[in-house]
Amino acid sequence: MSARREVISAAGGVTNAADGGSPPASPAVRGGDFIFVSGLTAVDRQSGERVPGTTASETRLILGNLKQVLQAAGSSLDQVVKVNVLLHSMLEAPNMNEVYVGFFPDPPPARTVCGARLPDGVKVIIECTALVCRI
Amino acid sequence: MREVIPAPLPGLDLRRHYGHHQSPAIRAGGLIFCSGMLPIDPQTGERRHGTLTSEAHIVLGNLKLLLESAGSSLDRLVQVHALIYDSIEYDVLNRVYRQYVANGPPARTVWTAQIEAGFKIELDAIAAA
Repeated sequence: MSARREVISAAGGVTNAADGGSPPASPAVRGGDFIFVSGLTAVDRQSGERVPGTTASETRLILGNLKQVLQAAGSSLDQVVKVNVLLHSMLEAPNMNEVYVGFFPDPPPARTVCGARLPDGVKVIIECTALVCRI
Repeated sequence: MREVIPAPLPGLDLRRHYGHHQSPAIRAGGLIFCSGMLPIDPQTGERRHGTLTSEAHIVLGNLKLLLESAGSSLDRLVQVHALIYDSIEYDVLNRVYRQYVANGPPARTVWTAQIEAGFKIELDAIAAA
């Protein structure tokens, strides 16, 4: 009863950003019928460089990149089952949410939002688990 | 189907040693969901406080034992949540972590959290069975 495992390496040109260079993490990994996406930070899709901004702007950039990662992995935002959002401050939750609602279907996926101390002045980290469309 | 993965060594039975109401891991849907892995001596169950480096070696060693006992391995990891006590140790974590997940590493998210018993690291992991 072993599940298929596959690293999604060229995930739409998006690198997992939190430490620039090449962190010991794949952007996304398939396990069974699920795609597990690394925590994404606000980075430029082409250059992979950090794009610091507001919570809203970082959320928008991350979710745009997440869409690419999921597409490259044979999934999509509509197939997301769970999202974890880490914010540098829970006071920013409404600012994140305002952008967030535009990216996901209604009814949306399950989600947990929590405040955490994030590295390097990062304001938002978003990771998710999605179903594979192409099985 | 849901199957409990028992502790591969007596020290890793946190339910017995610390009363944690949790199984070491659960296999379901072709995946193995591990409980938060801590720097616990796998033989005795004693807490092994130390530097982030020393704690990370124990945690990853324990994770290896647990996954291999379930017929999986570190190479089969798909997702890791790395909780560390201070984000200043991010590079230190990566140095140790790379030694265990060399090629095609799992998806990962790192953040800072208060970890039980004053430990410096905890890993939450999912692997393909």
